Amino acid sequence: MTSTDTAADGVASFPAAGERACTIQTTVNGVRVERALDPRMTLVEFLREDLELTGTKVSCGLQVCGVCTVLVDDQPVSSCTYLAADVDGRAVRTVEGLAREGALNGLQRSFAEEFALQCGFCTPGFLMMATALLERDPDPTEETIREYLDGNFCRCTGYQPIVAAVRRAAARKAGEAGGEPS
Amino acid sequence: MLPAFALIRPRSLSEALSAISDDDVPYSGGTELLLAMRAGLQRPRALVDLKAVPELRRIALLDGGAEGTELRIGATTTHDELARDAVVRDSFPMLARVAAGVGNARVRAQGTVGGNLCFAEPRSDLVPALAALDASVVLIGPGGSRRVPVAEFILGMYWTVREPDELMVEVRVPVRPVRAHYVNLRITERPSVGVAIRVDADGRCRLVIGSVGEQPLVLDYDGIHEVDPDAVSAAVEPVPDLTGAEDYKRHLVAVMIRRAMAELETGKKQ
Repeated sequence: MTSTDTAADGVASFPAAGERACTIQTTVNGVRVERALDPRMTLVEFLREDLELTGTKVSCGLQVCGVCTVLVDDQPVSSCTYLAADVDGRAVRTVEGLAREGALNGLQRSFAEEFALQCGFCTPGFLMMATALLERDPDPTEETIREYLDGNFCRCTGYQPIVAAVRRAAARKAGEAGGEPS
Repeated sequence: MLPAFALIRPRSLSEALSAISDDDVPYSGGTELLLAMRAGLQRPRALVDLKAVPELRRIALLDGGAEGTELRIGATTTHDELARDAVVRDSFPMLARVAAGVGNARVRAQGTVGGNLCFAEPRSDLVPALAALDASVVLIGPGGSRRVPVAEFILGMYWTVREPDELMVEVRVPVRPVRAHYVNLRITERPSVGVAIRVDADGRCRLVIGSVGEQPLVLDYDGIHEVDPDAVSAAVEPVPDLTGAEDYKRHLVAVMIRRAMAELETGKKQ
């Protein structure tokens, strides 16, 4: 924390000078991480280059395409246009955090079963957006799914299988809750 | 890579106020500012992060006072928080719907009401919606605070009455028995045209055309029957862009006014 300049009035201030001028404490997929970083580093640069979590991709760099979506405190954000410094004190979840001990989770299996991916480049973003949606609305209508995912682009599938996969994941979760085999 | 900047994190309104200046700029969601910085359009010395200033992040009904009952929306309230707030949904359903449709779900989770207004990107859904509801913004600076109607706050493209040493604290929306509706045409992340309409209990009516010109066009009428969509279409000053030429946007304005009025009357999507 030596590089953090805390003024007498208690305002935390990270100077621009120095490549690793700001220290953050966060959790990424449940793992505690403390790092010194450049204030201008974006979250996706931090994830891919510092933590080597390369599941998160970047495409447009304009918050439009959704490819770089990760969750910060359960909210979906465009990690291409989000300062890594802003995850200080917050919890990050990426696509790497979905599978448990090498086993795909229900949403991921639903994507595979519905053929909801082809090249797969947009898939981490869709998975994280769908995760955020299902956590706020466990049984979304098709219209809700389309609205919520309308900021994510896929140039292969035509979207229909992706919507079906999210519906399937919701049904699978409901079935699991009811004690039926998924 | 973004240009170099320092990051300042005040914990109170007074700390935030003393931190901002010409070169040390307010920062919250970053959905506008970080893009402008990456494009080289802005190069602040410091970003003053307002996310940990509690006074700026709240939604509450404020009773009494000369202005009557008002809804206060803290400047760093996100679009998603506004859209999901129980009071907003109950008392200002139009505003909740508008907030629920801004950009995409990530922009709504990151972007803030104050940022949308202060950045003054002309293609905004919130600006015409708030102007139609006769909302004001509260600015605070070294000389004290002042209140400015949203309709007068925006001076032009990316240009507002806010001085560099002023912070937007909140937006205030009067609580009145009104009927209000908003429609837009959006083929990108931002609207090409947005039309907000409000009809008061006594029949008086306000129409606001957003996104088309450099600033919103606000028109007040004694009754909705006085609204002439073709006259408004002739009065707007469209800025042509990739979503349409001037004559196309004029055409759209008349179409969207008729659509807004029909939907307000019937309650059905046209």
